[in-house]
Amino acid sequence: MPMNAPFLRSGPRAASMAAWTLCALLVPCTAYSAIYHSPFVFKLLGYALAGSFAETLFALAVQRRRKLVCSGSALTAALLAASAPPATPFLPMLFAILVAVWGARLPWRGAALRFNAAMAGRFFLMLAYPAAVVAWGTAAPDTISTATPQELYRTDGFMLDWHTVLFGRVGGSWEGLYTLVPGSPGETWPLATLLLGGLLCRAGIVPWRTPLAFLLSFGIATACLGNNPLFNLFSAATVFTAVFIVTDPVSTPMGKGGQVAFGIVVGAANALIRNYTYYTEAVVYAVLLGNLLAPWLDHAAFALRGRQLGRRRPEQ
Amino acid sequence: MLRKIKIDWAGLARIQPLEHPFPPPERIFPGIDEIDPQRFPDFLDEIGLVGMGGGGFPASQKLRAAAGAHTLVVNGIECEPGLTIDQSVLLHESLWVAAGAVAAAKAVGATRMVLAVKKDSTLLAELALRYGEFEIVAFSDRYPAGAEKLILEKLEGRRPPPGVRPYQLGYLVQNAVSLRAIGRALIDGIPVVERPLTLAMPSAGFHRNIIVPVGIEIRQVLEAYRLPYDPCIHFLAASGLMMGHEADPETAVEKTTLALLVLPRDAAWREERPCIRCGACNTACPLGLHPYALVERIRKGRTGGDPFRMQMTECFLCGVCSAVCPSDIPLVQQLERGKQCL
Repeated sequence: MPMNAPFLRSGPRAASMAAWTLCALLVPCTAYSAIYHSPFVFKLLGYALAGSFAETLFALAVQRRRKLVCSGSALTAALLAASAPPATPFLPMLFAILVAVWGARLPWRGAALRFNAAMAGRFFLMLAYPAAVVAWGTAAPDTISTATPQELYRTDGFMLDWHTVLFGRVGGSWEGLYTLVPGSPGETWPLATLLLGGLLCRAGIVPWRTPLAFLLSFGIATACLGNNPLFNLFSAATVFTAVFIVTDPVSTPMGKGGQVAFGIVVGAANALIRNYTYYTEAVVYAVLLGNLLAPWLDHAAFALRGRQLGRRRPEQ
Repeated sequence: MLRKIKIDWAGLARIQPLEHPFPPPERIFPGIDEIDPQRFPDFLDEIGLVGMGGGGFPASQKLRAAAGAHTLVVNGIECEPGLTIDQSVLLHESLWVAAGAVAAAKAVGATRMVLAVKKDSTLLAELALRYGEFEIVAFSDRYPAGAEKLILEKLEGRRPPPGVRPYQLGYLVQNAVSLRAIGRALIDGIPVVERPLTLAMPSAGFHRNIIVPVGIEIRQVLEAYRLPYDPCIHFLAASGLMMGHEADPETAVEKTTLALLVLPRDAAWREERPCIRCGACNTACPLGLHPYALVERIRKGRTGGDPFRMQMTECFLCGVCSAVCPSDIPLVQQLERGKQCL
């Protein structure tokens, strides 16, 4: 069989891209487990294995081929686990992973319209097991237990200084009694997550336009709506979303312009939903909405480029 | 997402001498007395000159079309990464290149002569000594800087419209090796029977610029340097890493063979996987096109529509999209098919 040019390759390979992102995701989760003495990281690895196994089964049953290591589905499952409370029971999480891998990820392969599988699974979790998603810690009388400080901000206008949320442990008068962290395990260290995102961008594994557009658009929209942009950026899932969710290649537009537009739409939608509804994070809805728009954005970018080129052509 | 394509070949930075492993050709052509714009293209036909930058387009037709051009561009930018043959020819055979360039400029009536080379301070200093009458313009050393389209973009200040050839804008772009062939015919009376090329085997650290007779078997070239070529582990890439093709050692060196590269088979082996829609091809495309969207349309046969035709015309098949594709999709081969739909 003849070799085809080009004989050079540049940039990462598809299989290693998901694996590297998974490694990046493991960093904050391992730190979370180590510092707060939680077995969470082992659960996360188990869920990742479950996701990978689900794809193996799917490949065997539907595509009739053997595929052992499925880093993409493993990443989907791990993202799903990292974006939910660590105490989420096993069965709901397993169902969510199966919905994500079998329902949202694999059957849609090759289609123009794709949904972010982790977010689809999380959407299922929210609909089917609403109690499991918000179950955070143990609620005792006179305490409030929530997944993120967002909830307090939303209901009581209670706001932390933005720089205290940057480093994982939220300082204040409650220290000694409780440990406050700004989000789910994957979202605990916004600063570290940002750094990891920068590294992934540098390695060419994730695009930089989508997350940047998302963060900027989200920050500006939040500020315009009269909320504190920095607190909103660094608490809850915003940075996690920017680094791990909107950078998902399959469900986001391919072109540069499309990626920027996608980031802007998702960021603005997220800020709007947070402001006007009772959802405190609303990443799921914003991202799924953006996914719906992605094929159209791609198509528009393609047509626009064609028109630009046509305009350069001199009049005959 | 495109980083500069890295080549870990030893000794690429220094400019190597030009070697003549085979005996020189005999003088068989009488030469011409005067450069006459009407008769000069016929002279090019007589010496058998085709575009030696890899295009293979008959030079006489190009010259006829470019009659009245105001600028002659000597394209000394290596078209492919890892080749140094254009630089070598510019440095070591400057007499022939300059003579050919002056003759071609005179034939089309060009008053400005531009020497387009890669950004490299030592090379620029050396060239300034040899090409006093040329305007030397330095280009980026990132592939595909040597494409006519991108040269014109820099000279004109804006990119030429899709489908417009350089001569329509008053430029004649000729490869340095083509001009060397003109000069050789004018001065020595030797037609296009030689091909300067880069012979390289990165795994053995071998990289030479040599002049070989056109039509010689590739096997003989390899044997002249005793290269440890083994068809089981190596394959032969003719004309370069990005736009080249696999060659059989039994075939002959052609006028358009820019290089002969002996490469390890397993390193170049690629297996197509499904697209993950990462957009690496879009980001990397030097022309800002949407390669995968084009390929999708070609595969589905939806090749009508203005946006498709414009983008397909603009594409010059540089192969960067294929090189960066994380799923190893042969995008450039599909785009080649798409060119035929136009």
